[in-house]
Amino acid sequence: MSTHIEKHTPEQANALEQAMLDIPDPPAVELVAAYRWMLLARRLDERMWQLIRQGKGHFAVPCQGHEAVGVGYALALQRGHDYIAPHYRDLSAVLAYGITARDALASFFARDADPNSRGRQPYAHWGSQRLHIISLQGPQPNHVTHGVGVAYAARMLREGSVTLMAYGDGGAQKGEVHEAMNFAAIHHLPCIFCCENNLYTQSVPLALESSVVSIAARAAAYGISGVSVDGMDTLAVYRAMTAAAERARRGDGPSLVEARVYRFRPNTSNDDDTCYRSREEVDEWRARDPLTRFRAALEQREALSGKLAAEIEDEIAAIVDDAATWAEAAPNAAPQDALLHTYAEEV
Amino acid sequence: MPQMTMIEAIRSALAEEMARDERVLLMGEDIGTLGGVFRATEGLLARFGPERVIDTPMAELSIAGIAVGMAMKGLHPVAEIQFADFIHAATDHIIGEAAKIRYRSAGDWTCPLVIRTAYGGGLRGGPYHSQSIEGFYTHAPGLKVLAPSTPADARGLLIAAIRDPDPVLFLEHKRTYRLIKGDVSESDGVVPIGRAAIARPGTDVTVVSYGMMLHESLAAAEVLSADGISVEVIDLRSLIPLDRATILASLQRTGRLCIVHEDTRTMGFGAELAALAAEEALDVLKAPVCRVTAPDVGGIPVSPPLEEFVLPNRDKIAAALRNLVTAQRRIWAVADQAQTAAPSLDPWTRSALEIPQAASMVEVDLGRVLAYQAAHKAEFEARGMALELTPFVLEAAADALAAFPEVNSAFEGDHIRRYGSIDILLNVAAGDTLKRGIIEQAETRNLRGLALSVHTVRDNGEAATLPAGGTFSLTDLGQDAALFAVPPVLPGHAAALRAGAVSERLVPKDRGLALVSQVILTLSVDHRVLDGATASRFLNHVKAFLEEYR
Repeated sequence: MSTHIEKHTPEQANALEQAMLDIPDPPAVELVAAYRWMLLARRLDERMWQLIRQGKGHFAVPCQGHEAVGVGYALALQRGHDYIAPHYRDLSAVLAYGITARDALASFFARDADPNSRGRQPYAHWGSQRLHIISLQGPQPNHVTHGVGVAYAARMLREGSVTLMAYGDGGAQKGEVHEAMNFAAIHHLPCIFCCENNLYTQSVPLALESSVVSIAARAAAYGISGVSVDGMDTLAVYRAMTAAAERARRGDGPSLVEARVYRFRPNTSNDDDTCYRSREEVDEWRARDPLTRFRAALEQREALSGKLAAEIEDEIAAIVDDAATWAEAAPNAAPQDALLHTYAEEV
Repeated sequence: MPQMTMIEAIRSALAEEMARDERVLLMGEDIGTLGGVFRATEGLLARFGPERVIDTPMAELSIAGIAVGMAMKGLHPVAEIQFADFIHAATDHIIGEAAKIRYRSAGDWTCPLVIRTAYGGGLRGGPYHSQSIEGFYTHAPGLKVLAPSTPADARGLLIAAIRDPDPVLFLEHKRTYRLIKGDVSESDGVVPIGRAAIARPGTDVTVVSYGMMLHESLAAAEVLSADGISVEVIDLRSLIPLDRATILASLQRTGRLCIVHEDTRTMGFGAELAALAAEEALDVLKAPVCRVTAPDVGGIPVSPPLEEFVLPNRDKIAAALRNLVTAQRRIWAVADQAQTAAPSLDPWTRSALEIPQAASMVEVDLGRVLAYQAAHKAEFEARGMALELTPFVLEAAADALAAFPEVNSAFEGDHIRRYGSIDILLNVAAGDTLKRGIIEQAETRNLRGLALSVHTVRDNGEAATLPAGGTFSLTDLGQDAALFAVPPVLPGHAAALRAGAVSERLVPKDRGLALVSQVILTLSVDHRVLDGATASRFLNHVKAFLEEYR
């Protein structure tokens, strides 16, 4: 266990890391909003896990342990303006971006009301044109090249937006990421590569995925800035992402932010992680729970009182209950709707 | 009107669309400074600048993946994959992403990109600079696949592709680039996607092709015209969506289909065209469908004699067409069955002289058949077929013949021959005349197949003479029928069935009277083979089949 944490060593200082140091905290109201999104993500995740155990829904993709990353970058970006191609564990990010609890559970039950795909894609394949969440696919991490294309287009259209692509340490090993990063660096594109390194690609440990421990170190090969941060520290992620977004907006090109995280639950509802990780290892990481740490940070800053925290907990419990009841009862799409949307017009 | 080569027409379309719409951009290997290895993009970097004409790294996966992202964000990228042989690295983004984005997001996201690529052999390119790839990409719903063969179509279809809201794979046969010239006007607009063109009209056989093979097919058609064989050549232009109507209409005229493509044979695009003919035009086919393709080999060799051996060409196409126009109609082939008597006598005289006959008849209530007919009339009419009584009687007769194989037989002097298949010689009214034809293996056809067969006999059957063969005969004159009539048993058959006129009768039913539509069926049998009891059981089987229809 301790070896895993030691392997997560921060990169040496570079432009991005320097810039991070000067990033102030967001206003208290944003911090509380961030806490709400993280807590909502956690409680929805727990509910989906329960529902799967009850034989309801089709597929769950746990997000626990990753919540600080999604919220950290969502806070740093201009939500609704900047584009995100989230990691499939970034429930907290898409909630911050405007996906509702009902939306998430409609997706979990594959209902017609699922705004991501209307019951076509399994849960966690996010996408909304309106919310600037780039439609996600199954094969990881194809959305990284898509994000680079969006960044190129956004700059060509003079939008001034930044595009963030989040993917795992597994995805980072594919040629896809190399080609995307190379092109983005050549063209100084306004985009952020966010690698959520949770030490496993499903069952395969990092040591069998990569000969180099630090994913962030790869930035140097493209002449771009890279930094490795504690991805279970919301404010550390926020500072890195804010610095990266400012650099992108200034025309300094892409950045690579490695967020060191740990997933608390199995890879998906179809995985058994007891085959490849000890319970002791999981428990040790749970002691670094991003939600607990963020709450402590807010309390320390007097942004969150015990009373307010209790109110938020109750409020979110009600939201989750409502969303689960509503989504379970929501109608499926008509079967023949499966024939729609292959082409703009029927051919 | 100016002449352009294919490459000039493609360049003209790209320049026009870039000038028209600032969201159109080009990307690919060597397309900027060099102007493309085939010069399709020559001069466009200087005219439109590096932001819209991007020389990319030699990385096909990301050329496609980044173009997908650009299209999702509202640009109209035209990505060039230098050789189609290199496209496989980009397949995930073309088939797995571009083609599925609209579907997986239920229409929320779209991906209006064009991927141009140079394909095809004949230029000594070897296994990795000669391939045809349409077989893979026409199997990806969500993607449109175009393959023009003339400069005017290349220009008009490329403009249409760039303006299309869906992803398009634009296949350019590299041998056509400079070889094929044609009249193209800069003022011409789009050529609509999804419409085939009749490149040469003809009446004897239909060739369906595209790309370079279209030109080889036209050359073959020219050769055959000297021998009086009239070949219709269809230029598909658009593989997906496929213009089924133009192909089927041509098959109605010619009844023969030859498919020509350079791609390998198994699961090639020609297989889909053959399936179309089998599903929708089997009744008009006079011969089996023929494919002229590359054989299933692992690549196209660079050595000239080997490459020429592998690729189709005008000579191979002409040879295939000669075979096709002389091929026997297997489906409607007149059965070559043994006839025992002297051929000098006509079959009716032989029927009267040689066969001792006896007749039986039954009345059949058509209530269920008419109800079924009413419920399915529109469906049949949509396919250009009237749903009349004859197919139902055929179906009932085939069912009874299967149940009573002794009726499907013939007296042959010292033995009785039982036939292995049920081939019904059908006599139907067609206007003022009577048309005759043989429906082979009637037991294998469903109602729709039988209706198509009746249709075909009426259109193409014999009017004057009685075709030799068959194992049983049915006469149904429809509205011209008498109340009943006794049909002659023909030589080589053991029985004949005749349907009378449909008439309305008051019959006792449930202790009252009911008005029912009836038909009288009469069965004549060869008394040397069958007796009256078998004839009655056979007729009652037919009656029950019709009265309990579905």
